Amino acid sequence: MTGAALLRSLRRVGAMAGKETIHVRRDPRTLALALVMPVVMLFLFGYGISTDLDHLPLAFADQDRSEASRALARAFEGSREFEVVAHPMTEGVESLFRTGTAVAALVVPRGYQRDLLLGRKAQVQLMLDGADPVVGNQVLAKADAIARAESQRLAGAAFAGLQPPLQVKVWTRYNPEGRSALYMVPGISAFLLAITAVMLTALAIAGEWERGSMEQLFASPVGRLEIVLGKLLPYLALGLLELLLVVAFGALVFDVPIRGSVALVMLFGLVFLAGMLGQGLFISVVARNQLVATQAGALSAMLPSIILSGMIFPIENMPLPLQAISRLIPARYLVHGLRGILLKGNGLGVLWPDLLAMAIFAVGILALATARFKRRVA
Amino acid sequence: MTARVGPAIVVRDLTRRFGTFVAVDRVSFEVEQGEIFGYLGANGAGKSTTIRMLIGLLAPTSGQATVAGHDVATAPGRVKESIGYMSQKFSLYLDLPVEENLLFFGAAYGLEGTALRARAAELLERVGLDAQHEATTGDLPGGQRQRLALACALLHRPGLVFLDEPTAGVDPVARRAFWDLIRELARGGTTVFVTTHYLDEAEYCRRIGLMVDGKLVALDTPAGLKRTWVPDRVLVARGRGLAEAGPRLGGAPGVRAVAPFGAGLHLRVDPERFDAARVAAALREAGAEAVEVEEAAPTLEDVFLAVVDRDAGGAP
Ligand SMILES: Nc1ncnc2c1ncn2[C@@H]1O[C@H](COP(=O)(O)OP(=O)(O)OP(=O)(O)O)[C@@H](O)[C@H]1O
Ligand SMILES: [Mg+2]
Repeated sequence: MTGAALLRSLRRVGAMAGKETIHVRRDPRTLALALVMPVVMLFLFGYGISTDLDHLPLAFADQDRSEASRALARAFEGSREFEVVAHPMTEGVESLFRTGTAVAALVVPRGYQRDLLLGRKAQVQLMLDGADPVVGNQVLAKADAIARAESQRLAGAAFAGLQPPLQVKVWTRYNPEGRSALYMVPGISAFLLAITAVMLTALAIAGEWERGSMEQLFASPVGRLEIVLGKLLPYLALGLLELLLVVAFGALVFDVPIRGSVALVMLFGLVFLAGMLGQGLFISVVARNQLVATQAGALSAMLPSIILSGMIFPIENMPLPLQAISRLIPARYLVHGLRGILLKGNGLGVLWPDLLAMAIFAVGILALATARFKRRVA
Repeated sequence: MTARVGPAIVVRDLTRRFGTFVAVDRVSFEVEQGEIFGYLGANGAGKSTTIRMLIGLLAPTSGQATVAGHDVATAPGRVKESIGYMSQKFSLYLDLPVEENLLFFGAAYGLEGTALRARAAELLERVGLDAQHEATTGDLPGGQRQRLALACALLHRPGLVFLDEPTAGVDPVARRAFWDLIRELARGGTTVFVTTHYLDEAEYCRRIGLMVDGKLVALDTPAGLKRTWVPDRVLVARGRGLAEAGPRLGGAPGVRAVAPFGAGLHLRVDPERFDAARVAAALREAGAEAVEVEEAAPTLEDVFLAVVDRDAGGAP
């Protein structure tokens, strides 16, 4: 292709993309689906979470029964965020969790006061009921803050300048990964991006067939690849915008950290979206009408990204066949990748396999869809 | 643009099968530069299929076609650049404003910037939609939409346009307005290949091809078709009691066809045996009163019926 021909081709892609953008701008449903739904979803998943977070029922297993351990109990109670509801022995904690009497237990081992006085590190254990990931996470954050404050108080009083004397060892029951709102945001991102990309492209392209304008396009000098690119680009942009929105909203409202690079988040989003757009294209080429395309699009986008991505159900806990299938689901890699970037600050060095898997899916499905699209005579 | 030499379209034995079904069967014709070529036929006759092969949308099963000087099989891209096409199914973007439709299709054909805007404005004026350029396309009545679709097909100044049933489902006044545009286009030197169901419209065509079941069974000027296919004298009778008298006359030698026509009768007779006066006499004899008979020019409808009759087994 010569430079001039390439330029002409790019202009045609631009014309398609421009037209598609006008469609989107003029269609409130599309915009709502892309930009309002994410916020609503985040609220749905995020709330119920952060409401009523004071007076969390805490079991206080005090094996030391000393002045220092009672001070620690007061620190927890004084914060108003916890309420000591029981003083069990360690063995009793499990049943308190099962009955829901307590969501966390603080175990102060024998020798706590002695260790503090001797200037040794004093350890307490925080046992968490991780079954409700959201509550578990809140408990963790608050207990950590209180323990740190107490530690500072102790250090200030007697051992200024030394390293914090009090250490909290967290021990999460039932759900060692400690899933929570933090873990939901990456999951929701995958789910939302999948829906936006698959449904909107499937709809948009099936609409062209249905309307008969696809025939008009085929009769013009616009090539099939140009049609595909032009139709997909605006939804790619919309998807990235949506991802930014979800991440920003998660950070502002639910304190989801952004430890890694935002650029990497966008790169993951881009590659994932490419695959989802290909999936939408493929569906619309096969389905031909908007109704079927919508249904197939919704099913193929939502189910895997909810069930098999690890967004809600941990992949490690799935039966082996499902685990194997989940390897074919790009959402799985996006969820894993985003968690890595946002929560752990991982970079490409760690996450490249996820990116590679999504890229393979994207290239494969786009090639398949474009081939079918090309072969299909109007 | 290629030099305007030779016919705008040359078709040789063009055939398209869908499975075992032959939608277009060894069709051959030529369309001259600047003429309005009408392509007529009943539903499913193969009109759209022919057009789609001519514009490079559908590969022919066999046969050749050269459109605007380019071979459809080997240079479909060139063909697409040289022609305008208005598909049968209405295919504008209804959610876009009128002007955006024009701007998009213009850009698809490689126009841009001020040239594109100027061209769009020029066409809007030409098809009488300049006042509606900001309207949402879906809000326009059918006739105006069709004119917009035509404008979209003309943006890149094609020397040849294919219009597939451009006036289907449009009211008579709007059809008339549309055909005024088509004729103006042809006067400006553009070749127009147009399909239609409406036989009255076909009178505007310089030449007409008649398709029946995938075969091109007749091709001539409207006058030529009438001469060839309706050699009978066509008479229109008015009066009282014709409904009873007509059928009685039906079997007489030299009377080829009798059909009700409004309140009167439409007759086709052997010109050797009958003229207006003799038919009037025969009708009075059969019981009609106050009979007046006039000679009428055969219409394309007569031609079409004759062609279909012949095709159904009779000879012309
Ligand atoms: N893609 C296709 N697959 C199978 N059959 C087809 C296809 N396209 C057209 N046909 C058949 O070929 C025949 C001719 O169709 P075509 O659309 O050319 O008719 P037409 O003359 O344009 O009719 P109409 O006036 O209804 O538009 C029809 O019987 C139609 O069902
Ligand atoms: Mg047709």
